[in-house]
Amino acid sequence: MNEKKDISIPEYYQNRELSWLKFNERILLEAKDKTNKLFERLKFLSITASNLDEFFMVRVASLKDMVDAKYVKPDIAGMKPKEQLTAILKETKEFMERQYNAFNRSLLGLLEKQGINMITYHEQLSEEQKLYVDTYFDENVYPVLTPMAVDSSRPFPLIRNKSLNICVRLKGEEEKFATVQVPDVISRVIELPKTADVRNFILLEQIIERNIDKLFCGYEVVSACPYRITRNADLSIHEDEAADLLEEIEKQLRKRQWGFVIRLEIEDKTDKQIIRFLKNELNVETHSIYDVNGPLDLTFLMKLYSVDGFEQLKDEKYIPAHYAISGEEDIFTQISRKDILLHHPYEAFDPVVDFIRQASEDENVLAIKQTLYRVSGNSPIIRSLARAADNGKQVTVLVELKARFDEENNIQWAKMLEKAGCHVIYGLVGLKTHSKITLVVRREEEGIKRYVHLGTGNYNDATAKLYTDLGLMTCNTAVGEDATAVFNMISGYSEPRQWNRLSIAPYWLRERFLYLIKRETKYAKEGKEAFITAKMNSLCDKEIIEALYEASGAGVQINLIVRGICCLKTGIEGVSENISVRSIVGTFLEHSRIFYFANGGNSEVYLASADWMPRNLDKRVEILFPVEDAEAKEEVIEILGIQLADTLKAHVLVGENYEKVDKRGKKLLSSQTYFCEAAKEKESKAGNPAGRLFVPVIVKM
Amino acid sequence: MAYKLMAAIDVGSYELELKIFELSPKNGIVMLDNVRHVIELGRDTYVTGRVDFKHIDELCETLYKFTEVMREYKVTEYVAYATSSIREAENRNIIIDRIKVRTGLEVKIIGNSELRFLMYKTLSVRKDFERFIEEQTALVDVGAGSVQISLFDKGTLVTTQNIKLGSLRIRELLYRLSNDRQHFYWLVEELINNDIYTFKKMYLKEKSIKNIIAVGDYIMYFAMKGGKYTENMTREQFITRFDSLMEKNAGQLSQKMGITEEQATLLLPCAMIYKRLIEETQTENVWFPKVGLCDAIAAEYAIEKKIIKIGHDFDDDIINAAKLIAKRYKANQNHIAILEKNVTTIFDAMKKIHGLGNAERKLLGIAAILHDCGKYISMSKPGEASYNIIMATEIIGLSNREQKIVANVVKYNTEDFFEENNQLDTDDRNDYLTIVKLVAILRVANAMDRSHKQKFKNSKAVLKEDNTLVITTYTSDDITLEKGLFKSKAEFFEEVYGIRPVLRQKKEM
Repeated sequence: MNEKKDISIPEYYQNRELSWLKFNERILLEAKDKTNKLFERLKFLSITASNLDEFFMVRVASLKDMVDAKYVKPDIAGMKPKEQLTAILKETKEFMERQYNAFNRSLLGLLEKQGINMITYHEQLSEEQKLYVDTYFDENVYPVLTPMAVDSSRPFPLIRNKSLNICVRLKGEEEKFATVQVPDVISRVIELPKTADVRNFILLEQIIERNIDKLFCGYEVVSACPYRITRNADLSIHEDEAADLLEEIEKQLRKRQWGFVIRLEIEDKTDKQIIRFLKNELNVETHSIYDVNGPLDLTFLMKLYSVDGFEQLKDEKYIPAHYAISGEEDIFTQISRKDILLHHPYEAFDPVVDFIRQASEDENVLAIKQTLYRVSGNSPIIRSLARAADNGKQVTVLVELKARFDEENNIQWAKMLEKAGCHVIYGLVGLKTHSKITLVVRREEEGIKRYVHLGTGNYNDATAKLYTDLGLMTCNTAVGEDATAVFNMISGYSEPRQWNRLSIAPYWLRERFLYLIKRETKYAKEGKEAFITAKMNSLCDKEIIEALYEASGAGVQINLIVRGICCLKTGIEGVSENISVRSIVGTFLEHSRIFYFANGGNSEVYLASADWMPRNLDKRVEILFPVEDAEAKEEVIEILGIQLADTLKAHVLVGENYEKVDKRGKKLLSSQTYFCEAAKEKESKAGNPAGRLFVPVIVKM
Repeated sequence: MAYKLMAAIDVGSYELELKIFELSPKNGIVMLDNVRHVIELGRDTYVTGRVDFKHIDELCETLYKFTEVMREYKVTEYVAYATSSIREAENRNIIIDRIKVRTGLEVKIIGNSELRFLMYKTLSVRKDFERFIEEQTALVDVGAGSVQISLFDKGTLVTTQNIKLGSLRIRELLYRLSNDRQHFYWLVEELINNDIYTFKKMYLKEKSIKNIIAVGDYIMYFAMKGGKYTENMTREQFITRFDSLMEKNAGQLSQKMGITEEQATLLLPCAMIYKRLIEETQTENVWFPKVGLCDAIAAEYAIEKKIIKIGHDFDDDIINAAKLIAKRYKANQNHIAILEKNVTTIFDAMKKIHGLGNAERKLLGIAAILHDCGKYISMSKPGEASYNIIMATEIIGLSNREQKIVANVVKYNTEDFFEENNQLDTDDRNDYLTIVKLVAILRVANAMDRSHKQKFKNSKAVLKEDNTLVITTYTSDDITLEKGLFKSKAEFFEEVYGIRPVLRQKKEM
């Protein structure tokens, strides 16, 4: 008889930070992947850099805080904060080396082959180019620079988080240091005049470095080196004590610029005295200094990506299709007919924008309620909400002010909506409202009807073109009742006594997920049909993983599609043999959360705004909602099937490491490409004019 | 549009609740929105006798927010009721006034029996209800301030009693006295036992209860398990669930059930009341229909506006309840039966003159049934005694105002009545006139059976053009006594209506 294994032991789990680094590694693999077009590879490399910035600002900073506070509680994998920090620092240094190797050894050469000369050091400039950059400096750059010398009467200035700077060692009567911020008002990638068929580009800091002596007359510039710092950007908001959350967050945002320095990036071969000076002034430990072999901050590659004229080096821009919703009939009639499932970005986000826009203009609409987590810069949704308020509708909007790195943006939106007459809720004390839900209350002939949109992704028309998400539009009465209750709850009223269809975090969602997983375990033991297919961004909740291990042990086949962090390990005998985990990294960011349970032959499909992470289940307002319409449910199941069959962009977790899918005997398939093509086909079948380029004007006779 | 929107507001002892309803003949009563806000008004009232001004402020603020939700649906019609925590508060008039000034809402204080009747009306719309009450069934409504037990048998209401033993009241009384969880349970049990014992002794006697219908806010949490609501439990299931809950403290309960600790502390005494009742009776089934005051308000509104129809005759229940009270006070059943018939005959004949409606007709019938109950207490002052009995007894379905009308009508049936000398405890001019008109009819009808021998079994009343009301009786009995004593009663009648009642006898062959 098999001995029951203790599934809680740390050996069965992975540390979340190290797992995240593996995710970034998978993106780096895309940057190295020769089958990707060159500019797409630049974009992937740029993403690894911006991801890493955020990782330092939040995760490394938080671990450092724990170490400083002498917090020693081990994580899910049994690692204490200090051990985690040591491992992370080692991994990230190696990772950054690999990033720069990809840039220097592979991408720079490939760019050159394509007639793109990326001048990474000003010393490489030709005489003509030197003349050009010097004039460019004098006319455009010099006026916006503010050099700041450091001496006994002038302390080291505040260096902004993630800003690029140049540190200068000066020789005069005595040795001095100065620092100059590379201005962000000027594009960092500057194109120089073409030479023959070659287009030349240089980075702004190189132009400044070349002309740095013009800023320090009377001094000799001994050396000048670019540097960049990353600060702790985790806000500590005292919500309970804050009389006005908006003001408190504004205050904390200002403080973010003062967070302690987590990382100092310098170019290798930087003057040792400058390193020592910066180390002292910025109070950085030696292990937090990263010297890189190339230009600092590789996110400039995204700027290079946007330079005109290299379309052949990029993937053809995918224009989202229109098929589920017709542009010729009002959206409420269409939702009344049947539930509508939207698969972004393959399908356009326009129906969601239209939903709010039509609601704002419809004379029968009484109220619009929505939660906003991250919105785009010039959001049409916000405009519609403001218009709705103007049209006398009751508009309630929860703007989550604590959405990390979008706080400032959201404060502006909140103020603007409030001014327009909307009832704005800034969020809930101690919880982030991450759910994506819209409720439209409409007065109709037969009675009051509620239209609900629920999604896995944000109400952000810009990211909806890049993130894969699912949305459901329904006028199901039970869902409508629940949606009403959600808004009442976040408006400060007591929570409802029970929910019809939705499961809400933080109170009910964890229990619901555990119930759904355990139900499969029970059915497997009873010999009934039992399986779980789930897709999410991250999986690191121990209680959930334990339930999955138990289910696997009972014979439940579990297929997981986890884009990012995964603390679960596969292939452990008697524990996770029936679990497969794959991660898809493609052109679009996989973002949808789908949960599919066999339920003894009576399958259930759910979508959610939440991942299987403690923060989603315990610290946020999240919504899990079922897809009950047979057609929509089939479509979601098919989406999962295609993703599980992906052989080109999927990596499979083997133990705790990822491997490319073994393609032998399998069809070559990129799920994202498949969905793009399928969407275009559906669009052409639907004959939807919204997707047509030329739409004839119909004159009514 | 084939539907109507209305709002129902419950100013309860533990929380404030607003529900928005859509009412239509096609879909019946559909709840559109429900918001609740916890504010323990009862905690103030039951301990200090007044609602604290901070709570009044919070109350007004929340009710104002309720009006915003109403505006959202463009709802203009509403019914707002306040229950025991306001009713029993010394400063209730100030509270009602503050609400009116700050929110524009007219909140009516609802009497206990009126409240229970409302609940009962709502329940009676449910299919299961009729099936349940065919057997001996107790409808047990545990509120924050009191428990109402209504007994049904063979489809009709047998009795209804109110015990001041609500969840919040018990918790406030005992929480500070208890040292720990176990001690608290013990105290609650001891307190409950006493009242349950008295109730059993007084009203159950040899009868037993087969079904319990459990209503009230807190017991709903008891019926929630694993996110699902269980409408029916057997006796065993109830006890098992009770035992499993009692093992936990409020914190654990709150975590397990997804309710606040406050709610958990209210659930415990509430569940204990049911458990003791179940143990003391032969209860086999417990039904947990989900019904709250707001639902009841909507049901009543829909019935009144004739949006929905119901088969059950509630007036019958009220009359029945009144007859049971009369029986308890040993009233002459034959006499009240003939009196009830005769007051109705006169009332109907006088319709054009008195201008009163069905509601008053019902009150007059109840007054006839209860007019003699005071004799059980005092033969010399039956009017006063009847008045006190009526005012102190739960008559399901009667509002406090209606109860006062009935009590006054009964009182002045025998006591002298002086116009405008403020002897009636009503400030309402209309109520005053109603009482006077009904007293006049009751006196005349009562005089017709002065001998309590039911001589006027077959009577007719016709209003003549010469300003007389001719009451003709078909009897061979000697009615000298009745005729003789009729005169003085007829004078009062004439004074009130300007119509002279005349008795005529037609001898039966």
